[in-house]
Amino acid sequence: MTSHHPDTLSLMEYSAGTLSDPHALCIRLHLDHCPHCRSRVDALDSLGAMIVESQPREPVAAGTFDAILDRIDAEPAPGAIVMPRDPRDALHKLLDTDDLNSLPWKRQLADASVFDISDYFPEQSERVVLQKLTAGGKAPSHTHRGTETTIVLQGAFVDHSGVFNQWDFVVLDQNDTHKPVAVGHDDCISLSILSAPLKLTGTFTRLLNPFIR
Amino acid sequence: MTTLEPTAHRADSPRDPWSQLLEKVGKHQDREAFQSLFQHFGPQIKHYAIANGLPHQAEELVQEVFISIWRRSCLYDWRKAAASTWIFTIARNQRVDLLRKLRRTNKEITVETEDLWQVPGEQEDEPVTSLHRLMSERRIRESLVHLPEEQITVIAKVYMEQKSHQTVAEELDIPLGTVKSRVRLALKKLKVLLQDQKS
Repeated sequence: MTSHHPDTLSLMEYSAGTLSDPHALCIRLHLDHCPHCRSRVDALDSLGAMIVESQPREPVAAGTFDAILDRIDAEPAPGAIVMPRDPRDALHKLLDTDDLNSLPWKRQLADASVFDISDYFPEQSERVVLQKLTAGGKAPSHTHRGTETTIVLQGAFVDHSGVFNQWDFVVLDQNDTHKPVAVGHDDCISLSILSAPLKLTGTFTRLLNPFIR
Repeated sequence: MTTLEPTAHRADSPRDPWSQLLEKVGKHQDREAFQSLFQHFGPQIKHYAIANGLPHQAEELVQEVFISIWRRSCLYDWRKAAASTWIFTIARNQRVDLLRKLRRTNKEITVETEDLWQVPGEQEDEPVTSLHRLMSERRIRESLVHLPEEQITVIAKVYMEQKSHQTVAEELDIPLGTVKSRVRLALKKLKVLLQDQKS
């Protein structure tokens, strides 16, 4: 079944701080634009606080508070220095760009390009890619060998299960064969984490499988 | 037992003592209030660090968390989060940050922890939601005591031991599906799942 939001268990892992960087990034980008999920995370954060509260305490070393005060005394008062806030979201900061369209995209098929950003996450074994489908373009029919977690960053795509708009979140696995089509005036750009390579299912495009890592 | 009277929701100051203290730190850099917070939350955070596999960095984590509380206290808004919740998210972020730094000895950190993990109420210019928040917190607190042990265990492992649902399943030697259904049941009782449109 397809939902357009992360499921509660993933949000719980986000709240607990157990997700890998790329998964946390996808959730954070969604949260930035989804008050509904933000309120769920708020509830999960208070659950986390109550769990911590219900656990035993460990006495803190005698000198720790003084050490903290010493450090505080050595720095300016809070609020004294107002750092200009970088208004860009986590992904734009990471890639240091203002426009995703201007990234060095690599064309793979007529309508589909990718930009692999796995190297930004050196400890991560999964592939992290930006995918671009030109406006009106069709991706070949494919399924997934593992799990694909996707967030739409620009434009929208449609497949048999519905329309996915900007900031929609979707998790697909080997049971989901789909044939996304970019709709609207913009190219559709999405961020995906792939636990295993895509598997093309069309009769002709299947031959391309070895080339699509 | 104390109950929240309807008027409390319109009050312009927090009712729980920790949020009051945190406000004082934020507004007046009140060191006595800061010390009271330290005495209450310090030992909890130290245990949190140890449970999360950071026994040798537990004191360091406590320090980093309180330095961060001091620096950011001026951004704290009691209407958006209880002090305990706000401090929990800071402790979580500092733990994530510390682990990231420990893991990456020579590689540059490309994305800041704070950009990935949100502290409630800091970046959002949303309407104030104190009523909703207080209700939701009270509901969770009241239902938490009635949860069966096996459900609390899996939730506590996720929050306290930094374990994914998959790892919890392996550790308790039960299928992943069972872990997930226990968590779902628990969240349903805590009414966190109630807000799921479909799940």
